Amino acid sequence: MSTYKSFIGLEIHIQLNTKSKVFCSCKTSFGDEANTNVCPVCMGYPGTLPALNQEAIRKGYAVAKALHCNLAERCHFERKNYFYPDLPKNYQISQFAAPLGTEGWIEIDYQNQRKRIRIKECHLEEDAGKMIHAGDMSLLDYNRTGTPLLEIVTEPDLEFGDEAEILLHELRRLVRYLGVCDGNMEEGSMRCDANVSINLAGQGLGRKVEVKNLNSSRFVRKAIVHELERQAQILDKGAIVLQETRLWNENRDQTETMRSKESAHDYRYFTEPDLPPFSPDKEFLASLDKILTELPLDRKDRMSKAYGLSAAQADFIAEERPFADYFEQTVKLGADATNVAAWLCGDVQKVVNRENVAVYESKLSANRFASLIKLLDKGTISGKIAKQVLDLVFDEDKDPEVLVKEKGLEQLTDRKTIRGLVDQVLANNSKAVAQIREGDQKPLGFLAGQVLKESGGKADPRIVQEILTEVFSLK
Amino acid sequence: MAAQTRPWNETLKPEGIKAYKQFVAERDKQVASFLEFDPLRAQGTSNERAAVSTKSKTLEGLPFGVKDNIAVKNFHLTCGSKILESLVSPYNATAIQKLLDAGAVPVGKTNMDEFGMGSSTDNSAYKTTNNPHDLTRVSGGSSGGSAAAVAAGLVPFALGSDTGGSIRQPASFCGVYGLKPTYGAVSRYGLVAYASSLEVVGALAKDITILENVYETIKGLDGRDQTSTDPNDFPLLKKEVKTVGVLADRSGLDGMQAKSLEISIEALKKAGFAIKEVSLPLLDYAVPAYYTIASAEASANLARFNGIRYGNRPIYSENPDDLVRQARDQGFGDEVKLRILLGTFVLRSGFQDQYYLRAQKIRTAIRNQFDRAFEDIDLLLLPVFPIPAFKHGDLGMTAFQQKLADKYTTAANLTGLPGLSLPGPVLESVPVGMQFMAPAMHEHLLFQVARALQSSLPSADPAAYPAVYS
Repeated sequence: MSTYKSFIGLEIHIQLNTKSKVFCSCKTSFGDEANTNVCPVCMGYPGTLPALNQEAIRKGYAVAKALHCNLAERCHFERKNYFYPDLPKNYQISQFAAPLGTEGWIEIDYQNQRKRIRIKECHLEEDAGKMIHAGDMSLLDYNRTGTPLLEIVTEPDLEFGDEAEILLHELRRLVRYLGVCDGNMEEGSMRCDANVSINLAGQGLGRKVEVKNLNSSRFVRKAIVHELERQAQILDKGAIVLQETRLWNENRDQTETMRSKESAHDYRYFTEPDLPPFSPDKEFLASLDKILTELPLDRKDRMSKAYGLSAAQADFIAEERPFADYFEQTVKLGADATNVAAWLCGDVQKVVNRENVAVYESKLSANRFASLIKLLDKGTISGKIAKQVLDLVFDEDKDPEVLVKEKGLEQLTDRKTIRGLVDQVLANNSKAVAQIREGDQKPLGFLAGQVLKESGGKADPRIVQEILTEVFSLK
Repeated sequence: MAAQTRPWNETLKPEGIKAYKQFVAERDKQVASFLEFDPLRAQGTSNERAAVSTKSKTLEGLPFGVKDNIAVKNFHLTCGSKILESLVSPYNATAIQKLLDAGAVPVGKTNMDEFGMGSSTDNSAYKTTNNPHDLTRVSGGSSGGSAAAVAAGLVPFALGSDTGGSIRQPASFCGVYGLKPTYGAVSRYGLVAYASSLEVVGALAKDITILENVYETIKGLDGRDQTSTDPNDFPLLKKEVKTVGVLADRSGLDGMQAKSLEISIEALKKAGFAIKEVSLPLLDYAVPAYYTIASAEASANLARFNGIRYGNRPIYSENPDDLVRQARDQGFGDEVKLRILLGTFVLRSGFQDQYYLRAQKIRTAIRNQFDRAFEDIDLLLLPVFPIPAFKHGDLGMTAFQQKLADKYTTAANLTGLPGLSLPGPVLESVPVGMQFMAPAMHEHLLFQVARALQSSLPSADPAAYPAVYS
């Protein structure tokens, strides 16, 4: 295996979340009763014509721009001809000769290294319907027909299965940042086919095998790992890999032949005569900037530098745009960034997981979170009390200051009062006191604990420690 | 004769409808122009709000026929094909909606060659339409039903579609006006596609004013057809016709056709137009380029007819593939199958340079040649078809001869330029028309010359079918 070099390219389809379909005005919502979001146009009724949806082409260009593609000054559509019952016109309107974006790139973090994967092209096309086989019947649902799809084709720059999984994760994060797709592979709003080949190092690309039916990024990884192994075994034997399309069988954890190259389609592409070429004007290009935003990896780098976050923290916080926004908003409100990050990745995460809510949509608003951290920073409450307050925010839906006041949770910092508590504890624990006086400092921690307990957890542990040190003249 | 005619706008009124229905039923027994006729079905389908603003007095209450490849809500939409026998349109074509809003009423669907593929209307899966001037002859095609219905006086106008001459040729065979507008001037939404980049919705009429009003009503930008344009946005290069070009090479024409052309040239001279001979050598390449492109587009356009969502479906099939195969095998006629195969052939990957893309290059060259020609002339006079209306069946032309004969009509479709065929002199038993082509979006020049020739070359009623309505 190590003697071979592997080449993996992905073809990723993302469903653009436009209000209406790409060539008609039908709704694009899912889960509705079968064949209700259809019209004569998307059902391919005779005489109907496609009309390009501006929102779809705009979102397509925005993704292409985010992927650093050259944006086509003039793109056009082609008909891709093939017969399948879920394709109403028996051709798909797609882009072939002049896609909207070409020659871009995306970066991923793979094994602590940043790697650039080239994007060959991005093109806009229409989705097909769904065929469901039930007993001896084949049923068709055309609700999905005409949903805008952006196909992103990478160059064969990937080498490993886990690298492909990371790329998909990065792309998912990117389209979610742009707000153009939810990136959900299980539900099919993001789909992926993989082109896999191996060859002796230095001999260029091998014979390409296309793997389909990859319904999750995990399957993409597993299918590639399996396929690399399978192809290596073939080459080891001195045989030749058959150029073909294979399907991932998730029950057997293997790829299986779907069709050979000989039976491959001739799609007979030709220019779609029903749609004029699209040339973005200045206004259109300017409108892309409203969709574009700082990309996840850039944001991770910036936040990591600006706030001194660890790589793991920065990655975690940059995962979702509203999450990262929430973090930065909290910091902007004056809370210490290190504390905010630590709490966000730790205790806050535990609570929101339990409550099953996104933190930025939870009762812990950025304002409340900032004031909680500020109370902690100022020493008004201890870390232990802060955890209690955090729970109380979720239970009672009140601001941290109000809760601290209502419940009397301020930290006890008055030395006199604490001294009183210390004296009381010392009086009740003569044995421990004697032990310390004899030079064994072990019971000190126990005594400090007793003092905190007496204070109801409110005494400032630093002051308790200081007083105990004083009492036993330990300095 | 004229004194005894009744006005068209009485046909659909309660007191006139019965007589009108009876009149059409009787005449159409012989002519066989309509596939479906029901003058009251379209009532109430006009968009009332739009109707108020666009209602033109000239079209108010006029009945009209519609070629059966243009969608009229609640009417069939067979395209002359078995495969769509059961299809009833759920929507109106844009041109239909505009006419409805103007107060005109679609009364029925007219016969045609299957999917527009033919020059005789003999190639319909349903019936054969007869030329009202001579019932033994064809009415032309593919809009033969529309041409015959207008010529027989059943409707004042009818809509047709022109992919390679399908309005102009039957119009010239039947002695009526037939307008093929500039590509994009009229929305194609609702026209069942045969060759999308070539075809356009147009109209046929005996009265040039009605034809012009129909064109003015149906033209314009339509959001549902992104290849449509607003003719008003187009630069007006020529206001009126002064010089008419004629082909220097007029060989290869039938004697009657040549005679019709000479009569037209004389009429033009008499009307004060200058005549200039032009040479368009690339015209010889029009037919091969046209059939390559038209078949290629047809192979994709007709792929949607698979019997699954609408149209005729086989009673039993083993699986989805079998269902599609059976539906298409039983539903399509031979000419349609031939063109689908031809189109599939020319689009194969690796062969496009040789066929499809080459045809597109020829198309561009022809367009350039016409553009240059229109620098010196305002209109071009051309024959429509090399021979007059031919006999049905074996007495007529073979399918291949009919294709070669499209030389003069396909140029307008390849270039997108407008063409108007005019009623010509009746020679022997049938009229022999000719056509004019104009620069893009200059339909007004066509109407101007048609008016100028109106008195010398009138639209003659067929002897057997004198006008009853006017």
